[in-house]
Amino acid sequence: MAFDGKERDELRRKFLDYAETRDRALRDELITAHMGLAEYLARRFTNRGEPLDDLVQVAALGLLKAVDRFDPERGLEFSTYATPTIVGELKRHFRDKGWAVRVPRRVQELHLRLAGVVGQLSQELGRSPTIGEIAQAAAVSEEEVLEAIEAGHAYRFTSLDAPSGNDEELSLSAELGAEDQGLIDSEHRVTLSPLIAQFPPRERMILHLRFFEGMTQSEIAARLGISQMHVSRLLARALAQLRSQAEDDG
Amino acid sequence: MSQREVRLEVPAAPEFLRISRIMAAGVASRVGFTLDEVEDLRIAIDELCFSLVGPRRRTGTITLRYLLDTDELAVEGSGRFTDGLGNDPVVSALSEQILAAVVDECVLSTGEDGPEFRLVKRRRPS
Repeated sequence: MAFDGKERDELRRKFLDYAETRDRALRDELITAHMGLAEYLARRFTNRGEPLDDLVQVAALGLLKAVDRFDPERGLEFSTYATPTIVGELKRHFRDKGWAVRVPRRVQELHLRLAGVVGQLSQELGRSPTIGEIAQAAAVSEEEVLEAIEAGHAYRFTSLDAPSGNDEELSLSAELGAEDQGLIDSEHRVTLSPLIAQFPPRERMILHLRFFEGMTQSEIAARLGISQMHVSRLLARALAQLRSQAEDDG
Repeated sequence: MSQREVRLEVPAAPEFLRISRIMAAGVASRVGFTLDEVEDLRIAIDELCFSLVGPRRRTGTITLRYLLDTDELAVEGSGRFTDGLGNDPVVSALSEQILAAVVDECVLSTGEDGPEFRLVKRRRPS
């Protein structure tokens, strides 16, 4: 990411303008000018089983945050300021995805591929597919399918998996109807509120639908518009977190 | 079809309990369970093994017997500990709620030699 002196001056002027005007066109220009940095950082995370395109999008989100928060008056280079923000966003992405460090890439890739296969099969069959059916559709052995599914549960029993941040919280509150939210909150206030309430809305919703409403993982996936494998990962992570708290208390 | 049995004994530590979960998924797929049912079973095994060991680190072993039948899978688990910390299973209200949602039958008990459980998961007719 090297800009020559003239470019750097121009960018600096644009940052000063943007700090004052918050002009969207100016913001877009600043983001475009620094996309190389986002791509560069995204590329450093590609050996972890996520497609580069997705990572670049995540990095771009970090870049956008950095552009918005950067204060050019403080004399710091933008790239110096933005790098930790972008890397933080990428790390958060992996943490939310919940990959444990030791899952081999081959297994991670199959895990990702199976999410699509399971979705398609569920639609075709009108029910959750068996392990045998998934193996056949993906042209791998049943053992490989089991291994790949298990990868989604490979959480360590520690308190590291803190509930995810506010952005998700906001977007999801918009997704969930006020009625759903009210229902969940009132039920858990009576019984298990402190345990359930600590989770972000999506996890709270999934815990509620699975364990209090008796919906299957496939039904929850369809309702929330995410894959069954994703529901499975979020549930596994929430339960691991609950257990690790019991350990801390015990 | 006659009943078949798979038996597993592991040290009572989280890293080994993962094996009991993988084993559960493996035998469940032999019975022809759907992914949803396999996932439920996995959650149940996690909860139940945790209730055998409890929140404290313990010294001992967990034995699991997986009993495969035509349309159902029963799992019997027992903890044998040498640390003298007691034989009662530990189960929270939330765990009970979770277990009720994921398996057809589930009993936790204090056995003579340690905490025990038995669960049954049946295959839903498709």
